[in-house]
Amino acid sequence: MAAESDLMARYCDGDASAFRELHARIAPRLVAYLARMCGDRATAEDLVQQTFLKVHRARSAYVRGADPVPWMFAIAHRTFLDEARRKQRSRVQVAREEGGVPEVPAEIDGTPADRRRDGPDPAMVRAALAALEELPPSQREALILTKLSGKSVAEAAVITGSTPGAVKLRAHRGYVALRKALSALGLGGAP
Amino acid sequence: MSGRGQRDGGLDPRVEDSLSALGAASPGAPPIGDELARELEALRPVRTRAPRRQLAGVMSASLLYATGLIALAGLRRDLGEQPAALMVGFGLVWLLAFAAVTWLVVVPPRGAVIPRWRTAAGAALGAAVVLIASGLLLPHIAPSSTTYEPGARAFFAHAGCIRWGVAGAALPVVLAALAVRGAIPVGSRWAAAAVGAAGGALGGLVLHLHCPIAERLHVGLVHGGLVVIAAVVAALAARVGASRTSGRTR
Repeated sequence: MAAESDLMARYCDGDASAFRELHARIAPRLVAYLARMCGDRATAEDLVQQTFLKVHRARSAYVRGADPVPWMFAIAHRTFLDEARRKQRSRVQVAREEGGVPEVPAEIDGTPADRRRDGPDPAMVRAALAALEELPPSQREALILTKLSGKSVAEAAVITGSTPGAVKLRAHRGYVALRKALSALGLGGAP
Repeated sequence: MSGRGQRDGGLDPRVEDSLSALGAASPGAPPIGDELARELEALRPVRTRAPRRQLAGVMSASLLYATGLIALAGLRRDLGEQPAALMVGFGLVWLLAFAAVTWLVVVPPRGAVIPRWRTAAGAALGAAVVLIASGLLLPHIAPSSTTYEPGARAFFAHAGCIRWGVAGAALPVVLAALAVRGAIPVGSRWAAAAVGAAGGALGGLVLHLHCPIAERLHVGLVHGGLVVIAAVVAALAARVGASRTSGRTR
């Protein structure tokens, strides 16, 4: 499977099929990230379309050999912030869509589903979503990027236009707040 | 925050599982937008950015421009009376500020697309502090230096110097801005401020080699302050540019 940097290079050379493959690989990750940030799948898809339009128009700014994914996430992040400012939202919301919480597979041996070895507890996941929603936006975006979108601290810093130290601190504070919130509900570990 | 199962470094296995489950809920790819689909039909190859080549171009053209300006306007008349070490030191600090900030603005780390704009802006801020402080703290009024009593003449002299310095900063700013024009989609404020500061450093050097006014306030706040003035002007210009671009993309 071709690396994203190779696909991006072919796309910059005029290969539309490389763009489609890149879009197929990265768009779902951007939708997932933006849906968590803006709380609405339809808006997230619209923002992803805007993001790819911006990527297309700025593709001459790409540096060959570089990983285009953090750059695309940064453009998506900025597009989200522009949209949030445009709508004058006071705070971003975390997605609470139907079906947003993955189902836990049933065990054939009848072991209770909330055991750790069986996978995540749906109540816990729902509570985590709710607690995530209550976090300050900067902590939420740091946590979403580093924990949900699988970005490294350095990548999250590039995406949010922040420093790795600041992202690490925000993610840590967000995590601690999340753990406390879940503990207060009788879920999760000790605060 | 690494290593599953550590309780007190902050990790809780059940919280971790919940976050993993949230992260694993991957939606499908949305369709490509109509506008983008139309543009893709006419997709053409583009020349991608070559940061090191751009850096070399920006630096050499800017230094040529600065040399040309000084050659055109002439060196300050009290240059020979200024301590050589002071002038060389000032010149090196200005050149270093210009080169370092331009490098941070234009050249991304290996394997990345986005340069270190926040670092560049931080370096620009540091350069501004050093340049202003050294102007304020290390003045040398030579016999043929110009001095002004506070008043209208002094004000117009300061304003004239700022215009001159901004002219000196103009080309480096434009060239660096062209090199990083792709910055706009990813937030251009830091990049623009750093681009402006780099140009301001070169403009300050040009001004310092031309202007014979040697009073501490003038050298500090006008010659050194050009870094700040150019950074603010560039950041404001980028903000206007970004809002127009954002409007067009919507």
